[in-house]
Amino acid sequence: MRAILVKALADLRRRRVQAAVIFLTVFFSMAAGTMAVTLMSQTRDPYQAAFDKQRGAHLQVAYSATTDPQLLSKTPATIDASAFGGPYLVSNIQFKFGERKFYVDAIGRDNPGGPVEALNVTSGRWARAGDEIVLTRSFAELNKVSVGDRVKVVSVAQTPILTVVGEVVDIDEGSADLSSQHAWVLAAAVPALSTPDSSYYLMDYRFAGDPTSAKLQSSINRLRANLPPGSITGSLNYILVRSIFNITNQILTGVLSAFSVFALAATIAIVATLVTGIVISAYREIGIMKAIGFAPSQVIGVFALQIVIPALVACVLGIPVGTLASQPLLANSSHALGLAYEPTFSIGLDLLLLATGLLVVVIAATVPALRAGLLKPIAAIAKASAPRGTGGRRLRSAAARARLPRPVVLGIGDAFARPLRAALTLVSVLLGVATVVVAIGLPRSFQLINNSGTGAGNYQVVVNRSSAYADADVMRILNAQPETARVVAVGGKNVTVAGVADPVNTQLFRGDSSRLGYLVIAGRWYAAPGEVLAPAGLLHDAHLKIGDSFTGTADGQPLQFRVVGETYDINNLGHSMFMDIATMASVKPAAEPYRYAVTLVPGADVSAYVRRVSALEPDLLDVHATDTSIIAPVKIIDTVLLVIAAVLALIGVGGVFNTLLLNTRERIQDTATLKALGMSPRQVMVMVAASAGLLALVGGLIAMPVGLSLHHLLNDVISSSAGNDTPPAAYAVFNPAELVLIPLLGVVVAVAAALVPGRWAARTNVVEVLHSE
Amino acid sequence: MSELVRLSDITKVYQGGVTGALNGVSLTVEDGEFTAVMGPSGSGKSTLLNLIAGLDRPTSGSVAVAGSDLGRMSEAALARFRRDRVGFVFQFFHLLPNLTALENVLIPAQLKSTTSAEARARELLDQLGIAEVADRYPAKLSGGQQQRVAIARALINKPSLLLADEPTGALDTRSGNQVMELLMGLHRSGQTILLVTHDAKLATRYAARVISVLDGKIVDDVRLENAERAAADVIRVRGEETRR
Amino acid sequence: MSLKYGLLGLLAEEPLHGYEVKNRFEAMLGGTWEVNIGQVYTTLQRLERDGLVRPAGERGDRGKLLYEVSDSGRKALNEWLAQPDSGPQELREDIYVKLLLAARVANGNLGALLSRQKRAYLQRLRDLNQLEARARKDGRTDLANLVRGALLHTEADIKWIDELSEMGISGESV
Repeated sequence: MRAILVKALADLRRRRVQAAVIFLTVFFSMAAGTMAVTLMSQTRDPYQAAFDKQRGAHLQVAYSATTDPQLLSKTPATIDASAFGGPYLVSNIQFKFGERKFYVDAIGRDNPGGPVEALNVTSGRWARAGDEIVLTRSFAELNKVSVGDRVKVVSVAQTPILTVVGEVVDIDEGSADLSSQHAWVLAAAVPALSTPDSSYYLMDYRFAGDPTSAKLQSSINRLRANLPPGSITGSLNYILVRSIFNITNQILTGVLSAFSVFALAATIAIVATLVTGIVISAYREIGIMKAIGFAPSQVIGVFALQIVIPALVACVLGIPVGTLASQPLLANSSHALGLAYEPTFSIGLDLLLLATGLLVVVIAATVPALRAGLLKPIAAIAKASAPRGTGGRRLRSAAARARLPRPVVLGIGDAFARPLRAALTLVSVLLGVATVVVAIGLPRSFQLINNSGTGAGNYQVVVNRSSAYADADVMRILNAQPETARVVAVGGKNVTVAGVADPVNTQLFRGDSSRLGYLVIAGRWYAAPGEVLAPAGLLHDAHLKIGDSFTGTADGQPLQFRVVGETYDINNLGHSMFMDIATMASVKPAAEPYRYAVTLVPGADVSAYVRRVSALEPDLLDVHATDTSIIAPVKIIDTVLLVIAAVLALIGVGGVFNTLLLNTRERIQDTATLKALGMSPRQVMVMVAASAGLLALVGGLIAMPVGLSLHHLLNDVISSSAGNDTPPAAYAVFNPAELVLIPLLGVVVAVAAALVPGRWAARTNVVEVLHSE
Repeated sequence: MSELVRLSDITKVYQGGVTGALNGVSLTVEDGEFTAVMGPSGSGKSTLLNLIAGLDRPTSGSVAVAGSDLGRMSEAALARFRRDRVGFVFQFFHLLPNLTALENVLIPAQLKSTTSAEARARELLDQLGIAEVADRYPAKLSGGQQQRVAIARALINKPSLLLADEPTGALDTRSGNQVMELLMGLHRSGQTILLVTHDAKLATRYAARVISVLDGKIVDDVRLENAERAAADVIRVRGEETRR
Repeated sequence: MSLKYGLLGLLAEEPLHGYEVKNRFEAMLGGTWEVNIGQVYTTLQRLERDGLVRPAGERGDRGKLLYEVSDSGRKALNEWLAQPDSGPQELREDIYVKLLLAARVANGNLGALLSRQKRAYLQRLRDLNQLEARARKDGRTDLANLVRGALLHTEADIKWIDELSEMGISGESV
């Protein structure tokens, strides 16, 4: 109705600050929420779509090189595979590019297409000659290799040079910073790149429908049963790859959803506070409106509309912004999948979000406005101003007894004069501070965990050995260096454990591995061969606990293990084990270390050391300083957390600011009286600042345990999605001083926010205010 | 003349009140009358006005205005009643501060969805001598100007009854006189007016009928004559000496 | 006193005959004070006796005698104008005695009387209002101001009646 609109717009024009508060709060909430919802609705699909489009392999099995290819070609029938690829002859090679050396599995394949594992060539072309190689795009981007570059294969004596002619996206692989990669050469070129123990056969299987993990496990069992013992050396199923791929997005979505709910809650709190405040300040006007003929519903409409209009604008702007913000994250996953990036969002979803957002705002605005509708007109006109808030008396007397200065006492009482409003303000402060705590703590936890995996602070140089170079020679070279303090050699062999479908990785240590920086979550480090540590994922899936003994097979040979501790390792989603290399003494072929973690003496020059050692055997040794930088997915999560914390902190400040505005306006008569009685402008400002400070302090103090619990919880969620428990050290990333400093900082910010309303209150014209009563 | 307002045995008790604000009041007002309701503060005269306007409900008894029984009406219906049938002029003007003068005048018409009210609104402002302040906000108007805007607002929907509660209370003498003259002019054009005032001089000057309220009861209800008496019959000035 | 000084003041403006000063006086009072000629002559004689006025012309035809003010007359006039009314409050209306009698005669019950009195006062107020309006219309602001004084007095009387009624003198239960 026209009258409602005219009045609402007129009021809006006068209440610009409140309109701005509503606009910003709703804008940020809607943007964050849209980002989260868009991600959630779109994430699962791209992987599956890409997987189906490329006819990915549900199961990949590696067979010993001695297996009869004829037998292998019968395997699809054995497990009812609907399509298969291979057998491909594969050789694990090490090549040198620039200063670095890399290991990849070179698969012999003559064309990228086929009924299974159709590879998407994104750059260049497929290999046409024996000296050409195709890499994954993920690998190429990570290590800055381009089409046309040449690499020198150093794992075979002839050290052939291969030219990179193409990049592909292989749907069955994870990203290069998380797992080793395949490469492709012509089938005929493989033998020239092989050494006796570097090659194996690879077969890709595809099944009808969506096979479950259990079905894939039983397929492997059937294969094993039907082939000579020791034929199967490893396997990979797509569910694992999909999980790893989706983790980042799942974590992000989870984090975003949680914090969007926070932002929504904070928005509701602020809107409700604002509307109540406006209604209170407009008591007399409400009476007039009713006297001249506004019906109760029309009165409510006037107030609700003042809120809904800026909120509507905020939604209309925030939803596209949120949708746009989600695109880089979606593009990231599309890119990783080798899909062309298409803007993915659903208009229907956006409209639904718009409707939901508006509905929430309308409800948050209308419920407090109901009071306006129900006010008896005569009561409203008679009361020139609304009932003053009467809470906070006890606080005030307590503060007075504490001999605080009078302006501070008054300010403290004011803060809680209206308990409901104070509570709502506390909510928005709490959410802001708690989020800041998480945004500070979580990246630190990530850093700590990352350091444990990269050995930061414990060893400074990593040496990778080509299979053409002997282990003993490496040890000799390293021990000959004066700066070498300690060398721990690491090898690996896949182990099959009962109850776990996929092979379990192992890290086989020779040397004092307990000082490499790996985190022990429970139990202890191993002290003898046969003792192992494993992450929670393996322990859970294999139904093991500390103290249990169990058997596993490596290269088909049985071994005895005993769990002595739980550790943190996200490789293979928690299916891994740490042990002494001597545990594998009985296994043939022998497990030889390929990697060496070198600790230098304190004060040694790391780059000089690296240069010297790599100069000794440039082709056969890859020597580099440890790279302690965090992986891309974690960087993304850190950035998102920072943005969200900033948003929620802003909203929290906005909440305090809003409440102060309302309070100072309502108490203007009291302030004028105080000024008339001799309170100086500075004292008025102190009064307002004390109000703000108290709200921020209480909110901040409550927020600390909330934030820490949330930090704890998120750590657990993220760790468990990667198949691990959270290491205790990851919880304790705050030092006590910070725990005190954070709420104090909140108080400082709130007091700064109080400057504007404080200055306004300090400048009230006593005569004008008291006269108009 | 037809009956416009009928109050039957009205009682109004407020919570916690020992005596009632109104105690068994019955009253009728005819169409076209200018009636003044007088009484000291707390006598119930404002309560009477509020009940007639439908701003408040009696504890017992019935209120009928322009044929409608207010007791049967919902809040929304009462709002419509106030919009269409009653014009209100308050002591403290009570203009909506965020709207211009013209917008204030138009609101009741807009509530009624009357589309062509602007012409009438401007005409009213003109008749009241304040056409030039149409686009100014109440804060920038003098008391007299604000009250005239309020009168225009009260008249926009051509109400059957104009209620004025101490309309000159917040005005200086000159503005107050102007406002009362305006009301007088409206009455001469046929508007029914009910004026509440504590000022007997004002009441007797303009109203033909004076109702006196005391302690929630009507203690007197008198129609005054327009006798146009000679000065000598009204005032006798005499010096100290009375002897010849 | 005010008749004596009223006439004196008029003569101070210009010398006048007896009839003239009577008419002028009545006109000035706008009909609120009618004097007879005998009173006027008596007052003029007293003024002459006191040396405040003197005949301006021949003592001859009665009524055609022109009077003028003397210097001491002007002085006396100014002194009188400067002096405030310091005498007692004059309460001449019957209501005051009736109030005192009520305690003895009517058991303190004046209810009906007071309300009838108030009605009369209200009517008087209306009449005074009309009188004031006429005076202003005729351009007699001085007279209008006088009527205004009467209005306020009557208003005060009404307030007094209201107070008495509220206090219960009327006999109604409080």
